[in-house]
Amino acid sequence: MNEILVWGSKSRERTWRPAIIGLALGLLIPALAQGAEVVKLTLNSVLVVQESKNGQVSEAFQPALAVKPGEILEWRLEAENATDRPLRQVALVIPIPKETAYLEGSAPALPWGGVRILPQFSYDGGKTYGLPPLKRRVRSVENGQEVEREVEVRPAEYTHARWLLPELGPKAKVLLKLRTTVR
Amino acid sequence: MKKPVGIIGVLLSLWFSLALAAPTPAGTSIQNQASATYVDSAGQPRSTTSNLVVTVVQQVYSFTITPNGANEASPGQTRSGLPGSQVLFNYQVTNTGNGTDTINLATVQGTADNFDLTGVQIFLDANCNGNLDAGETTPITGVTLNMGNSACLIVRATLPTSATNGQYGNLNLTGTSVGNPNVKDNDNWARATATTAAALTAFKSASPSGNVTPGSTITYTVSGANTGGGAAYGVSVTGLSGTGILVADTIPSGLSVSSMPTGSAGAGTVSFVYSTDGSSWSPLGSSNLPLTGNGTVAIGLFISGSGAFFPQGASYTFSFGATVPTGAASGTLYTNSATVRFNDGTAPQTVTTNSTTNTVGAGYNVAVGPYGFPTAGASGTYTALGYTVTRSGDAQSIASVYDGTTVIFRHTLRNTGNAADSFTLGFSGAPTGWSCGLVADDLTTPISGPVGPVAAGADYNFALKCQVPAGATGNSFTLTVTATSVGDPGKTDPTTDTVTALADGFRLDLYGGVNGYGPYTQSQTQNGTNYTSDDLSTSRPPIYQNGTVYPSANPGAQVVYRLRVKNLNPSGQADNYTLLVQPGSGYAAAVDSLLFYPDANDDGLPDGPPISSTGLLGANGEFKYLAVVTLKNTAPPGPAGFSFAAQSSQSGAEPKDFAPTQINVNTLAQVSLIPDRSGTVTSPGTIQYTHTLTNSSNTGATCTVSGNGGSYGWTYQYSLDGTTWAPSLIGISLTPNGGNQTIYVRVLVPAGEPIGRTDVNTLTASCDVGSTSASATASETTTVVGGDLRLSKSAVSYVGTSATVRSSDGSQAYPGDTLVYTVLAENIGTADLKAVKVADPLPGYTGFVSVSATATGFPAGATVLYSTDGTTWSTAAPTSLPAGGTVYVGVNTNGDGTIDGNDVMPPGAKITLTFKVQVQ
Repeated sequence: MNEILVWGSKSRERTWRPAIIGLALGLLIPALAQGAEVVKLTLNSVLVVQESKNGQVSEAFQPALAVKPGEILEWRLEAENATDRPLRQVALVIPIPKETAYLEGSAPALPWGGVRILPQFSYDGGKTYGLPPLKRRVRSVENGQEVEREVEVRPAEYTHARWLLPELGPKAKVLLKLRTTVR
Repeated sequence: MKKPVGIIGVLLSLWFSLALAAPTPAGTSIQNQASATYVDSAGQPRSTTSNLVVTVVQQVYSFTITPNGANEASPGQTRSGLPGSQVLFNYQVTNTGNGTDTINLATVQGTADNFDLTGVQIFLDANCNGNLDAGETTPITGVTLNMGNSACLIVRATLPTSATNGQYGNLNLTGTSVGNPNVKDNDNWARATATTAAALTAFKSASPSGNVTPGSTITYTVSGANTGGGAAYGVSVTGLSGTGILVADTIPSGLSVSSMPTGSAGAGTVSFVYSTDGSSWSPLGSSNLPLTGNGTVAIGLFISGSGAFFPQGASYTFSFGATVPTGAASGTLYTNSATVRFNDGTAPQTVTTNSTTNTVGAGYNVAVGPYGFPTAGASGTYTALGYTVTRSGDAQSIASVYDGTTVIFRHTLRNTGNAADSFTLGFSGAPTGWSCGLVADDLTTPISGPVGPVAAGADYNFALKCQVPAGATGNSFTLTVTATSVGDPGKTDPTTDTVTALADGFRLDLYGGVNGYGPYTQSQTQNGTNYTSDDLSTSRPPIYQNGTVYPSANPGAQVVYRLRVKNLNPSGQADNYTLLVQPGSGYAAAVDSLLFYPDANDDGLPDGPPISSTGLLGANGEFKYLAVVTLKNTAPPGPAGFSFAAQSSQSGAEPKDFAPTQINVNTLAQVSLIPDRSGTVTSPGTIQYTHTLTNSSNTGATCTVSGNGGSYGWTYQYSLDGTTWAPSLIGISLTPNGGNQTIYVRVLVPAGEPIGRTDVNTLTASCDVGSTSASATASETTTVVGGDLRLSKSAVSYVGTSATVRSSDGSQAYPGDTLVYTVLAENIGTADLKAVKVADPLPGYTGFVSVSATATGFPAGATVLYSTDGTTWSTAAPTSLPAGGTVYVGVNTNGDGTIDGNDVMPPGAKITLTFKVQVQ
């Protein structure tokens, strides 16, 4: 027994038209996306040095082309919305290089409108983020029994810091900072 | 001003803690690149990255020399010997910088002492046993160490022969970094005391030296001899009877001694002892083992004897094995030294050996198993994507999985090594067609590349996710998931996931009824499986209109079915069903189109344009739709059978469900005989007419044609070909749907008929159509004329304004069609006719298009003239004509511009008037 697919000529027209429009849009979107950078990110690092004058200690910043273990690096990320339109759900991430350790408390909150956006941290390579103190579950054998404990993740184990901005206005610019110690 | 101070405090404490860990090697590039994700104004998620910042780590120079002795008054180690004998000082130098460095070594004689030591030399103690062995006798002035490495040193010195009992000399070992000469270690004072009494040496060795692996055993050996000037005495030891020489070793924390030590001495009686508090000792028996080091637990050799029992030259050795715990972290240090207590004849003495240091190397291992049970021994169940996963030992299984669904086996991996490690995850055994992949614990994010680093002892959860293809069947599919250590690719662990059986996950039901004859549940399943796609029988209850009667319809009519498709997928998956029709006997000849329309509100009216599928339909969802069957105008009478069908688009393997039905096409009996004809004839004379007999029925017709003969006895004859004439026609066979036959009628008018007599012949076609009949009539109206001018008129209709003929006899025309009338006026007499005017009125419901005329057989110079009122004439044809108007045509033969009695029409002359109008 033969089978025929019922397919009226009118329905064929209606089916094809959206497909053609979809194709046209599909060609357009990459063309738009290849335009100018929408969010411009500029990352800098400076070496933080302590200066002591007349018994008073102050900080100075030097270019961080070469550092030594134990020295403190300050990472500065400037993010700018280069467009004339607001951008939403802007997540700005400063990774913490594995050769350095995050210096606890060195990432200031970002004033945004009337609130302050607290930095979130990740210890798993940026997969998950949370506000300190971060906790991790560890299983171990104690007295022959397998137990699971929740242990606090040391700030030195953080891998990424992130600020989540609900919106970044047209041409708006923010500056984020954190410090790490060279291991 | 508190803040900077605070930061410095943090910095110092950090430096301290970082100093314990290995610093970043010199030359390392610290690279960093920030990133951002956001949603742009068009609602599109986007991401971007910053510039790359590169910073190079420079070398720092740092080292330590131990043991420390801050100054001459507090030496870090003291050795005793006879005047003129050699003493050995033991040191360890460690490169704590972040690159390779050479440490220059030198010795400094003390000034706050009794004498200078002579023959001072520095040696490398390659096996770190504290003693100068063969092959270690080349003096050195420096040592080159890689980052993090250590070396054991021996400083050998000779006591001056002039020294007297109790005098001492101090010596400092200093080190200077070659990389940074400002980095020094100068607080390593040691003391050598001259004694004429007994003096025991004590050396400590560890085998292996340096790196050890978790679970391995370190053999510690303490050995020495009496190198003094007299026999040694024993001391009283708390908990032990008598006196003796105690060789005591505090077991490094974490190490455990589980077998009895060995040892011997050149004099006295040896026994093995232990202490749990470091001060009180007891005899050691195997029942006291194992002994695990905690900072105070100690093991020892007790050489008992009374008086000066241990003569000059007598030696001793003590050896025990200590096992490194299997969970020891990489980098853990086990440092050990021993003490020897004896009495030199004047006072109790304690000699401390050199220190040995063993470092736990990185040991990599991995265990992977069922979720929550990385080391196997699993039990219990959990649920993933609706399936219950059963854990047992090192395996997981799902009893039954529907085809077309996704299964997830969650897993837990444990780093059972002693160092952070990454792991390569893999799987094998996926059946053909299954689409499997490893995902993170969110059960979504695919895993690519090794996972980790995972801290030693920590767990990492992930999952194996498999899409079982629709249509798959079979039993017992086992996949093996494997985790492999990146640190040691030889360390790998498998675990298995099994799907015990596959079940059919798809089922659909198609049912309905004829619109207006509910309920629309014919062919619906009664028990959940019969009459569904899972019913493999080839029969289904048909869809009737009423009882067991199928719907009937005339050709060209529509029959509407109200149908439903229900998603009965046992797997609970949504599905999109393709709507189909399976033609049966009579379908192709009868059905013009069959279109499906959505009818969500179930009112029997289409909700929108035609569809070919249901769209995504959730589990247990019912999709209501219409099937509109339009019959062809030519559909033959009788049954047109077909089945509605629906097919899953998710599973091509799932059979269709169908519902058979049938439409009975009615017989349509319809014949026509057109047009009515009229004409003029002289008496006597003949005239011939034609009619068309058409069979518009949906089946063949057999017809008889006869006339009533009119009222005056004229002779009417009929023909099918215009040649063979008969009083009537019988057995005319016409094919269905437009089969036609031209019927010729000839009228023979006898002489003597009065001018103006009109006779009407009514022609009747009687047809047998299938089991029924149909008839049609037409007429010929013939008028007797006296003159010799014969007029005949014919018409042709055209489709619109095109040249396509709609009807060659003008019998059919649609609004907008063009009708062309041709009027032929002919002098059939033998004499001239005068003042001939041919008139033709504009028919009702038509509009004037054009008129033209030609004339033949007239004298030379004759011209055709036109008029719209019959009195005013023009050579130009009129371009318009009002409704109800008439056009006149004449031929002017005398050149006076009008038609009157002076204009003649010779015998045989013809005027042809062509009148074009358009149907309104």
